[in-house]
Amino acid sequence: MIAKVSYHKGYAGLHRVTPMANVLLLVGFLVAVLVSPSILVKLGVFLLVIGLLVISGERVGSFLCKTRFVLLFGVVLFIAQAFSIREGTVLLSRGFVVTDCGLLAGAQMAFRFLVIFSSSILFVLVTDPDRLAHSIEQIGIPYRYSFVLVLSLRFVPFFRKEYRTVRDAQQVRGINTSIHGFAGLLGSIRYTLFPLLVSGLMRVDSIAISMKGRCFGLYAKRTIAYKEHWQRADWAVLFLFCLLLATSALARKYAWL
Amino acid sequence: MVSGPSGCGKSTLCKALCKFIPEMIPAHVGGEILINGLSIRNIRSQQIATQLGLVQQDPDSQICTLNVWQEVAFGPENLCLSREEVSARVEECLSTAGISHLANMETTTLSGGEKQRVAIASILAMRPSVVLLDEPTANLDPQGAKAIFEIMDDLRKKGKYTLIVVEHRLSPLLQMHPRLLLLSGGKVVARRSSVCHKDLEALGLRADWDISLPLLPRARRATLFVDAVSFGYEGTPLFEDLSFKLWPGEILGIIGPNGSGKTTLLRLIAELEKPASGYIVRDDDPKVGFIFQQPHQQIFERTVRREFEVDGSIGSKDLHCVLEGARLAGLENAPPLSLSLGEQRRLTFAIALSRNSSLLLLDEPFIGQDAKNVSWIISQVLAARRHGTATLVVSHDIPLVASLCDRLLYLGERAFFGEKDEVLSQLKEAGKRAFTPTYWEQEQA
Repeated sequence: MIAKVSYHKGYAGLHRVTPMANVLLLVGFLVAVLVSPSILVKLGVFLLVIGLLVISGERVGSFLCKTRFVLLFGVVLFIAQAFSIREGTVLLSRGFVVTDCGLLAGAQMAFRFLVIFSSSILFVLVTDPDRLAHSIEQIGIPYRYSFVLVLSLRFVPFFRKEYRTVRDAQQVRGINTSIHGFAGLLGSIRYTLFPLLVSGLMRVDSIAISMKGRCFGLYAKRTIAYKEHWQRADWAVLFLFCLLLATSALARKYAWL
Repeated sequence: MVSGPSGCGKSTLCKALCKFIPEMIPAHVGGEILINGLSIRNIRSQQIATQLGLVQQDPDSQICTLNVWQEVAFGPENLCLSREEVSARVEECLSTAGISHLANMETTTLSGGEKQRVAIASILAMRPSVVLLDEPTANLDPQGAKAIFEIMDDLRKKGKYTLIVVEHRLSPLLQMHPRLLLLSGGKVVARRSSVCHKDLEALGLRADWDISLPLLPRARRATLFVDAVSFGYEGTPLFEDLSFKLWPGEILGIIGPNGSGKTTLLRLIAELEKPASGYIVRDDDPKVGFIFQQPHQQIFERTVRREFEVDGSIGSKDLHCVLEGARLAGLENAPPLSLSLGEQRRLTFAIALSRNSSLLLLDEPFIGQDAKNVSWIISQVLAARRHGTATLVVSHDIPLVASLCDRLLYLGERAFFGEKDEVLSQLKEAGKRAFTPTYWEQEQA
């Protein structure tokens, strides 16, 4: 659904802040759209995400292209809600009914969905998984768990590439894997899932050997050679986080539109 | 150096020495392994890692972080060393592996050769007394392989390390005056305290590929016509205006550095990619016999017999003959994924041949194959040549490709295509000596 969204090195905007500050910001975005009932706040948060993308040196065009399916799904959600809710003042009635409550609920749903996805993508684009793992270790979480995160992020592009290769191999050998009915589903599982699983397990074995072969798990703790230091940009992100929390609390209390 | 036929247990020996067998891969293990006089029976694999480090074959699958510096620091960090000590070790090992300039690079952006050097540096950072290298050059282009052999030689000269190298390409190692352990069927069948080229020949570990290619009959129509093809990934061009024709029976060798687009060209010809511009015209046969670099990606069925039946039914007698030729006799009902990688590669090759197509696309068919298996693959390619099947072979084994192929295509910053002598002299002039067989012959001498 989302094409090739992965971290790459950068030096602007959120690339400069520590990974934990990025985690905090992501939490702020999620709280703002889940707690606040206001559409304006959600719209503001969405625009803020786009603004931060620009500040961080990401191209908005490329971002929109990568997330076109998500945007399309947001529109579908909006339309589905707008047409299915009948309460409220009728705005349009031509065989189908559109009410103000339907439009508001659709906009709520669509913006909530868009902000959750776009902020998550922003987080992935600007957060170095290795540094994130170190930051998680720094706050006292056992390093085995932080490496689960790093390795799972490493496996995403691997599975994407492997899936394509397996489909190509099927094409070369003339194997039809279209899913029509139960038999088609079983065929697809056998011809796609099993080779993928085998590749995945082989890769897991090699990485496990590589990690154990370098004493991973020998001691309960490990040195963190690269220590993250809280800088001015991180304080700015912390301020933004507090602002998001305060705005959503106010929007909820005073029932902003 | 440790050598022996495919499937003789070389990689198993490496894993047993590091105790990954039986710790991670259950097995019955007898006997005793002593490292620096210490039995490994009652210690964990992580404790062995401070004494013995393993560099695996595939550079991609042994890197577990996203940054070169952090990858090399990974081991010392696990040893709970001080930050200063970790940094000192990282700097020293990056320098030993000749990759100090890559310290801040993302591991995903490195070439295969660079990744393998990172893997070696990250093992050296553990300061082991024994370094075990399991076919470290198998996936590397000649330049990458050359760099790895040079690092091994440097390490040997330092006198701090015992090197155990599992290799099929033995000749470049001879200058290091190694001892040889030859395995077969899981047993040591020969030991030599010093080895020369004659020993390798006597033990069947080295073959001079002097293949005579009879003239091909003239054909009216080319099997494959690549016309002004350009292609690239995400704006980075791999090749531009590439044109050539391949005639029935012709064998074209494709050589070049890692990442130069050799596999991509095969994918374009198999219609798995579309060219950005230009045309690829194949003859009327819609089928191609294509073997991928990783054989397990092309295996779908539960038994070897059923794997052949995916491409059409095959009689028991024929199957038996094919499997016997591929040194897979008696494995008709075995699960294909339980075979060794070398065996899987021969299986996919035999399946590609059984399609009887007019075009064969072979991506690194010789990796992990001993001399006997290479001979079998060559004999099959030559038999296909006699029947008019055109073949494209991608390989890093330059002497073999130069001997086996009618013509050569070099893909790199500049593409060279033509008669092999012509291409090889162009490469020599362009300073790409590692891609010429004379370079490897001189190394051996």
